[in-house]
Amino acid sequence: MKIGVFIPELLRHLFKKPATVDYPFKKLEVPRDFRGSPYLRPELCIVCRACERDCPAEAIEITAVNEAEKRFRMIIHNDRCIHCAQCVDSCPTEAMLMDDKFEISDYDRHNLKMNWEFVRAVVKPKSEPKTS
Amino acid sequence: MKFQIPIGPQHPALKEPISLRMTVEGEIIREADIRLGYNHRGLEKLAEQRTWIQNIYLTERICGICSHSHTTCYVQGVEKLMELEPPKRGLYIRTLVAELERIHSHLLWLGVAGHEAGFDSFFMYTWRDREIVMDILEIISGNRVHYGINTIGGVRRDLDDGQVKHILDSLEILRKRSEYYKNLGTTEPSFVARLAGVGYLSKEDAIALCAVGPTLRASGVPMDVRKDDPYAVYGEIPFEVCTADTCDVLGRTVVRIQELFQCYNIIEYLLKNLPAGPVAVRAPRRAKPNEVVSRYEAPRGENIHYIKSNGTDKPERLKVRAPTLGNYAATIKMLKNGFIADVPLIFAAIDPCICCAERAVSLVDVRTGQEKIISMNALKQLSLKISAGKVRKREAEWPL
Repeated sequence: MKIGVFIPELLRHLFKKPATVDYPFKKLEVPRDFRGSPYLRPELCIVCRACERDCPAEAIEITAVNEAEKRFRMIIHNDRCIHCAQCVDSCPTEAMLMDDKFEISDYDRHNLKMNWEFVRAVVKPKSEPKTS
Repeated sequence: MKFQIPIGPQHPALKEPISLRMTVEGEIIREADIRLGYNHRGLEKLAEQRTWIQNIYLTERICGICSHSHTTCYVQGVEKLMELEPPKRGLYIRTLVAELERIHSHLLWLGVAGHEAGFDSFFMYTWRDREIVMDILEIISGNRVHYGINTIGGVRRDLDDGQVKHILDSLEILRKRSEYYKNLGTTEPSFVARLAGVGYLSKEDAIALCAVGPTLRASGVPMDVRKDDPYAVYGEIPFEVCTADTCDVLGRTVVRIQELFQCYNIIEYLLKNLPAGPVAVRAPRRAKPNEVVSRYEAPRGENIHYIKSNGTDKPERLKVRAPTLGNYAATIKMLKNGFIADVPLIFAAIDPCICCAERAVSLVDVRTGQEKIISMNALKQLSLKISAGKVRKREAEWPL
């Protein structure tokens, strides 16, 4: 039985700096690909509803406000969102993007709802070849 | 005199709370009975109402520790159904994340095992080192736990040179730290003595009871899906299947430590031979009517998904067999003729999350029908008390 072989390891760790940070005062930077909350750039949205169809949490809702004027409303239920960024992948025009905020808790889940009212954009999807 | 001890159903049994009833004679368990089904989430039924794409994120949430295992298993099956061939680079990144996940799961398990054996400083060290892997995963995929890297037909994120360099640098630190764990048995004989001889499972029993993963390999059976039925790019990666022949918790620890080194080698190989090209191909929305069984070696053992398609954009059936289920029968065998105080350790040895919740165990006196509730803490104290001061297996040696 060897006693005290563990002591050098313990001593070494005494002089290591802590593995944690003083969170509320010092914040870690999120990585480049961090998946925060989704948001819409309404000037690019062509209302193809790909995000609504692919969202695994059914957190995206697109309704028509006025069909004749081509006005639509998109609601993102952030209380249901699972932050998978599938909407960003599905979007053909890059109208959906993820922000990098991680302190997004709230006392009321209804405050987490975000909505945009916009006129449908006439941007050609990126995947389609340009005709002109 | 026989007593019955129920453990659970709300017990630290990870994703599936289970109920254990053990008949004891004194301190020794003579019979063990297992009851399942307390954590039925209806996940397989839910999968039938979601599209192929939505189900990736559903299967990812079957488990937090092996989130990548379940998606890869599912995605591989769907790719077979859709007759897709993911690009080489995509498969390399998928395998890379899988191996990083294996490292983080094994480091987590080592810490839990140390904690259960009453070696808490070891627990702190391994979990500190695990943060290095978690940081790598966060840099690659964006998030720490649910990586969301898989998609049907490849992966969603590409690697750049900075990330490759970061991973290789971090790997050096991890390798150095793992050397220390490898020599641990020679520096800490009490740790070895606590693990040796606990939860014995012979080679014949391990095969007969369909044990999987490190539990099976610790009984001397070199069975690994990565070697036996290579998926993704495992066919072209040189690595060894690690086994131990002590058939106990010590063997399971040794197998996991050895597998860590294999993981580092695999990751180094993957990064040095990373092919150029796209990471994903476009997937169709529907799959032809067919059925497929997909196998995957998760950190805990063999994971099986059965997927049936019917020509629509939703699966007709998705059946998931997680590795823990495969190990339940073997656990009963391991518990028999062991001590009550070893229950936490034996359970921790098949699956790492067992100790994350502190629950109650009640001792039932058969004669009076009285129940005595003891908490997991008290059980742990009992475990430490029993093992304190005496070395149960003096001749036990660190096999590394």
